[in-house]
Amino acid sequence: MNIRKSITAYFYVYKIRIQKSLAYHYDVYGNILMQCIIMFAAAFFWRALYAGETVVQGVAAEQMYIYTVVSTAMSVFFMNDVEQRVMRSVEKGTIAVEMLKPINLYGIFFFEDLGKLTALCFQNLLPIVLIGSIFIAVPKPANMTAFLLFVLSLVMAYLIHWLLAACFSMWAFVTINMNPLLQVKKHLIRLLSGSIIPLWFFPDWLASILNCLPFVYIYQLPLDIYIGKEGMSNILPRLGIQAVWVVALFVLFMILQKNALKKVMVQGG
Amino acid sequence: MLSGIRHYTSVTLAYLKLSILTVFEYPANMIGWLISNPLQFIVGFATIQFVVKEFGDIAGWNYGQLAFLYGLAIISHALSMIFFVQGWFMGYSVIEGDFDRYLLRPMSVLYQFCFTQFNLIGITDLIPGLCVFIYGCIQVGFVFNLRNILALVAILVGATFIRGGVYIAIGSSSFWSKSIVDFGGYTQELFDKTTMYPLSMYPESVQFILTFIIPIGWVSFYPAAELMGISTDAFMPGAAPLISLGAGALVFAVASVVFYAGLKKYESAGN
Amino acid sequence: MAVIEVKNLTKDYKVNKKGKGLGGAIKNLFVREKTIVHAVKDLSFTIEKGEIVAFIGPNGAGKSTTVKMMSGILNPTSGQVLVNGKDVAKKRKEVVMDLGVVFGQRTQLNWDLRLGESFELMKRIYQIPDERYKENLKVMDDILGINEIIDIPVRQLSLGQRMRGDLVAAMLHSPSVLFLDEPTIGLDVDGKYAIRKFIKEINRVKGTTVILTTHDLGDIQELCERLIIINNGELMEDGPLQEVTERIAPFKTLVVEFYDGEAGVHPKAELFYHEGNIAKYRFRKADITAAQLIEEISSAKEIKDVSIEEASIDDIIRIAYHGSNEKI
Repeated sequence: MNIRKSITAYFYVYKIRIQKSLAYHYDVYGNILMQCIIMFAAAFFWRALYAGETVVQGVAAEQMYIYTVVSTAMSVFFMNDVEQRVMRSVEKGTIAVEMLKPINLYGIFFFEDLGKLTALCFQNLLPIVLIGSIFIAVPKPANMTAFLLFVLSLVMAYLIHWLLAACFSMWAFVTINMNPLLQVKKHLIRLLSGSIIPLWFFPDWLASILNCLPFVYIYQLPLDIYIGKEGMSNILPRLGIQAVWVVALFVLFMILQKNALKKVMVQGG
Repeated sequence: MLSGIRHYTSVTLAYLKLSILTVFEYPANMIGWLISNPLQFIVGFATIQFVVKEFGDIAGWNYGQLAFLYGLAIISHALSMIFFVQGWFMGYSVIEGDFDRYLLRPMSVLYQFCFTQFNLIGITDLIPGLCVFIYGCIQVGFVFNLRNILALVAILVGATFIRGGVYIAIGSSSFWSKSIVDFGGYTQELFDKTTMYPLSMYPESVQFILTFIIPIGWVSFYPAAELMGISTDAFMPGAAPLISLGAGALVFAVASVVFYAGLKKYESAGN
Repeated sequence: MAVIEVKNLTKDYKVNKKGKGLGGAIKNLFVREKTIVHAVKDLSFTIEKGEIVAFIGPNGAGKSTTVKMMSGILNPTSGQVLVNGKDVAKKRKEVVMDLGVVFGQRTQLNWDLRLGESFELMKRIYQIPDERYKENLKVMDDILGINEIIDIPVRQLSLGQRMRGDLVAAMLHSPSVLFLDEPTIGLDVDGKYAIRKFIKEINRVKGTTVILTTHDLGDIQELCERLIIINNGELMEDGPLQEVTERIAPFKTLVVEFYDGEAGVHPKAELFYHEGNIAKYRFRKADITAAQLIEEISSAKEIKDVSIEEASIDDIIRIAYHGSNEKI
């Protein structure tokens, strides 16, 4: 299969997925409502904690509100379901056929997820930012450089999260029910990535362990950059580590995919 | 009436037996959950400690009191997972036509929906709940006398029904939307934020809503405060456990009205 | 005595119109058009005790919707269904005590556990007394040999075995009415044979009224005294197999073998097949009798052999689906 053909195919699934996502209204309203409630809950939480203080760990209350709004909006980027889809294919026994198609299965998943993300940016991200700006805090970035670096970091965060999911999905070839495993991953990301409680409230020993894991590069680093928590000299090396994680996970993913393919070829799925 | 109770008891026991047998069919599953579920609450409980260390008491509650509250909330969460987790996945049941089967049997549809499969995995949530709660009890010097034990039972029953009612009411929206929305994650996040921290840290309007309209405050905050002798703005001091019980009955009654209204819209699968 | 009375049964669905392409999808976000689909239109019929009735019709004709309304799963938009004189929509719990339902493509058995566990559960749900439970299970074993598979987990059963299990589960509480939605779909010859034998036996021994939907001609031929043909949500035909055939396919086919490749013609019969020495004529019984036709053709041209074919169920169904105007 030549490259142009596969690019056309990828673009096609991307477009179809946008259309499909736009067709579901109720999911969208339900998601916005729930995300907003959670955003307000978090904002009230910080307001209560900051009641007597102005600056904690070098972060002002206002920055914490922005952190909350941006973190909620960012969650839109991390709503893919690669694992469930692979799991379903394995259950149905169609995985072998799908993986042996000339076009890469994970490539299709990736572009479908991008399509879904594009739709979600309009359906969820915009309303969340809008509602957050009106009722909580206008999420203005620390400065223009910070914003550009944030975008760069967010792209890498997306890749880390997606590749992590893709790697996890390979477990489906080994175990029947990987839901518990997915739960472990979900909670690790939820609690250790800084999406709810920023890392700087964690004790130093724990924070330095977490800095060695990929989770903090999903939420914490882009958020740190956005609110201007750290100076440029601290941020650039961390962006470097983030890039290393992207590459490392990609290599891991390629190896796992090759093994899975071998397994599928032998067993026929 | 009496024969009705006997009928439902006998079927409930049969469902329980089948659920236990199913767990033993896939023991590896249970082990997986046994690791993953406690993990989230242990990490969650640890973060509370970090926050308290940084900011001091939360809304005037010290670490021991927060542990008591957090533990109580996890226990009722675990119970609601065992009995009412189906509510989280109602969308799937609606789309895939699971209600066909329930409608064909001479028993309450809501009963069958909730109890056909007891989610014994919920027990894995009970373990961290009990650990944290007992730690909290020691910290605040809670005495396990008969009165307190009865109060705890009332609170937990009420709290489980409040949670279950909310899951079912939210899940029932699938009857109208005819789409699968997995509200589980959101619902849990919402309950975590409102039951595991003191409600008094939120603005009064929010407190009002969570006290009177969607009475989540009665899941853990008011009863925990009362058991520890912390004064709150709640009315009728001394009656919190009973109000929890009443609120549970009320929320569940409303939820079942919503559920049956939705069931009228049910269109089975494949249309 | 009428076991089932269906009166002016109607079911409408509201369906969202979906716009085409990306533009349509975006437009859909803001404006939503709804169209009403009439799945079942003003259906009325009665079914007597002990009948075996087949519902046939193309996919999407409203068969399943009708059966689901008759068994209380769906609420009708208007009209009503009475089972043993009770309104299904109003007295669901009472009515379902007297119904057994099997959907060919889904099982009500517990997937993970041995078959017997599901039966035990039914015993409790329907409050079946011990004696009757044992007796029914014995009857089922005689017909279906269910005891051979009762200790096997359902997930390990073959489709045919699972269907047997489902039938038993549906009949344990001795319902007077049995609904079967495509009971033989996907089964092999043995499987179909066992299911049909079961239906006949249960109808003969217990007098159970059986209503089944099917696409399988064998089911109809072997089981059903009465056909109800539904298309586009409307009742097209209702009556005994023989009568329906007479009504919608009132023709026969005469097959003639000549001595050479030339076939004779006749003004009252249509020559619709001719290959080699064989010719087939279709004629209406009202126009000419078979004897007359044979005589007139043979007087014009010598014939070697003849045979007469009735319209097959295949033909009947096709005509019913497409309307009688279509050429066969």
